Amino acid sequence: MLTLHAIRKQFGPTVAVDGLSLEVGAGEVFGLLGPNGAGKSTTIAIATGLLAPDSGGVDILGLGSPTARAVRAHLGLAPQEITLYGELTARENLMFFARLYRVRDARRRVDELLASVELDVRANDRVAAFSGGMKRRLNLAAALVHDPKVVLLDEPTAGVDPQSRARILELVRELAREGRTIVYTTHYMEEAARICDRVCIVDHGRMLDLGTVSGLIARHGGQTAVTVERDGSEERVLTTDPVGEVSRQLATGGVTGVRVERPDLETVFLSLTGRSLRE
Amino acid sequence: MRALIAIAQKDLRLLFRDKGDVFFTFVFPVILAVFFGFVFGGGGGASRIDLALVVESDTPMAAGMAADLTADPSFEVVRHDSRETAIAAVRVGKATAAVILPASMKEGVEGLFTGSGIPIQAIVDPSRKAEMGLIQGKLNELAFRQFPRLFADGEAMPRILARAREALPSMQGLTPTQRLTAGGLIMAGEAFSKSLAPSPAPAPGSTDAAPADPAVDAAAPAPAAAPATATTAWSPIAVTIEELPQTRVRPRSSFDVTFPQGTVWGLAGCIGAFAAGLVVERSRGTLARLHLAPIARWQLLGGKGLACFTVAMIVQVLLAAVAVVAFGSSIAQPAMLLVAFAASAVCFSGLAMLLAALCRTEAEANGAGRGAILILAMIGGGTIPLFFMPPFLRTISYGSPFRWAVTAIEGAFWRDLAVADQIVPILVLLGLGIGGFLLGARAVGRPLVR
Repeated sequence: MLTLHAIRKQFGPTVAVDGLSLEVGAGEVFGLLGPNGAGKSTTIAIATGLLAPDSGGVDILGLGSPTARAVRAHLGLAPQEITLYGELTARENLMFFARLYRVRDARRRVDELLASVELDVRANDRVAAFSGGMKRRLNLAAALVHDPKVVLLDEPTAGVDPQSRARILELVRELAREGRTIVYTTHYMEEAARICDRVCIVDHGRMLDLGTVSGLIARHGGQTAVTVERDGSEERVLTTDPVGEVSRQLATGGVTGVRVERPDLETVFLSLTGRSLRE
Repeated sequence: MRALIAIAQKDLRLLFRDKGDVFFTFVFPVILAVFFGFVFGGGGGASRIDLALVVESDTPMAAGMAADLTADPSFEVVRHDSRETAIAAVRVGKATAAVILPASMKEGVEGLFTGSGIPIQAIVDPSRKAEMGLIQGKLNELAFRQFPRLFADGEAMPRILARAREALPSMQGLTPTQRLTAGGLIMAGEAFSKSLAPSPAPAPGSTDAAPADPAVDAAAPAPAAAPATATTAWSPIAVTIEELPQTRVRPRSSFDVTFPQGTVWGLAGCIGAFAAGLVVERSRGTLARLHLAPIARWQLLGGKGLACFTVAMIVQVLLAAVAVVAFGSSIAQPAMLLVAFAASAVCFSGLAMLLAALCRTEAEANGAGRGAILILAMIGGGTIPLFFMPPFLRTISYGSPFRWAVTAIEGAFWRDLAVADQIVPILVLLGLGIGGFLLGARAVGRPLVR
């Protein structure tokens, strides 16, 4: 379990995180969404103890602050950047991190992870020669090498191909099924909707809302749009009962096409954070 | 044309925004030109030879010689109270030669025309053979320059000439013509000396204060052990040049000198690579990942330092091994050499940490950072041996850690310095290393910098 208690962090005049409180349970995939500069990465850095908050606190698994070494041993982080050594092979990278965490039977653990991210056949190749997707998968594997109970993934699918993305998302779900606490940040709304049990939308360091994807859509998504084509023209109707509306339209006759646009997480996101461009 | 200009403008803008490129394109060439200009004597800053001067003689000639040596633009003279300290200065490389104006100069002066010459000694650093000839020539020149004063000394000169006149009959190996000529010269000298001497009040019962008068001569300060020994060739000045006696070894070849200098570049490469590596780790986020591991900060930074230390040690040992195996160098003090290597490795590991803290980006580390290292290495004796540098550059070189490394390594490699003489450079290296490490670790040790 990961708990943030009213954390606040300011860089000069900029308030990066403004009194954010969260509680993420075991086996949960928790989505942290927000536009660029919303404070997601700062929140992750504070949650992992890499950055000290100006006020507030962090508790990991009820053991205390992640600044304590014993607590950090339970944390896994896959940062937004590819934090691997390009001149080392995939296996050497994972073995290095395994040694750092004093993983027992490190070789077996590394082999398992290489297989799970489907890099076992490239295990002895230098990371510098990997594609973006391969690097991302290995970056995730490096965060898991010590079998952490709390895993923080900062945009783990940024810039990867659909196959790598699919594999990473599968892995994240597997991790949650194993009972790990997962905090996941992303800009891909469909990804968050697909794997997150709960989502928190932040902007300007503040929490705008928190809930399940369906709950957020219900609260902020608005009505479903039903577009009906008839005699070469289109009619758009907003409704809370799209099935009933489509039935009604079909009953009137002359309908050549129907399109239903349900509100999704992106609608919610834009509704809460606005459409103005960010940094 | 517009496109062409746009591309050129863009490239120039890129060049000027990269501090490393700006440094190596515009600043570094100027520094190189100025440095070598000074080294080769440009700007009136010609290189001077450091002398450790010991004046044991109280003769006016010694005083005149000391003054002339000090004023000579070829020399940078430091007075010492004893031979021991002067020789120690040569041994540790602070002076090229120890020049001794011995007490026996007095006897030499007294027996100017009859003895084996006025003795002047110089003990030269054996690694500075090239300068021996210059030192010998200059000492002869300056000694001869004292003669007009000596001849004009109305007190000493008559006594010296009287002794010469006394000794002339017993001199062997002179042809009658030479004997006659010498006698004539002595008489002429006496006449000249009398003409210069202030008219003394005639002594009671005497008509002249003739120095030839045995009574007067006997009353003169004892010319002590200046026996009018017979000699076959007259040599008024006897400059003796000796190489500094080494207790065990001396440089067998120039490689003994150049290999310790080569370590400068090994250490420069080491500090550059590790500082840049640390900056890369920080900027690419791997350092943050390391901070997340359940290890203490000192373990993380210590691990980084240990890697740099190990490479620095390997580089130095490798260079020493090549010098010994391939070029026949012999190591005077192997144990002390290892201590010097270790101190240098500590120094440059700490400085790598400091440099990493000062450089924010990889470009800065690879450009300005490596440039600074190059300059420090040049000033510290990496390109030109310190003794070829003009005095002010040599003074500046004390600010370069490379100088201290060369001094410490040379001391154990071939200079065979006493341990006491090696303590200072080793302590300086350790101080710089520990200080640099602590300062650098404060910044590098911070998990995230925003």
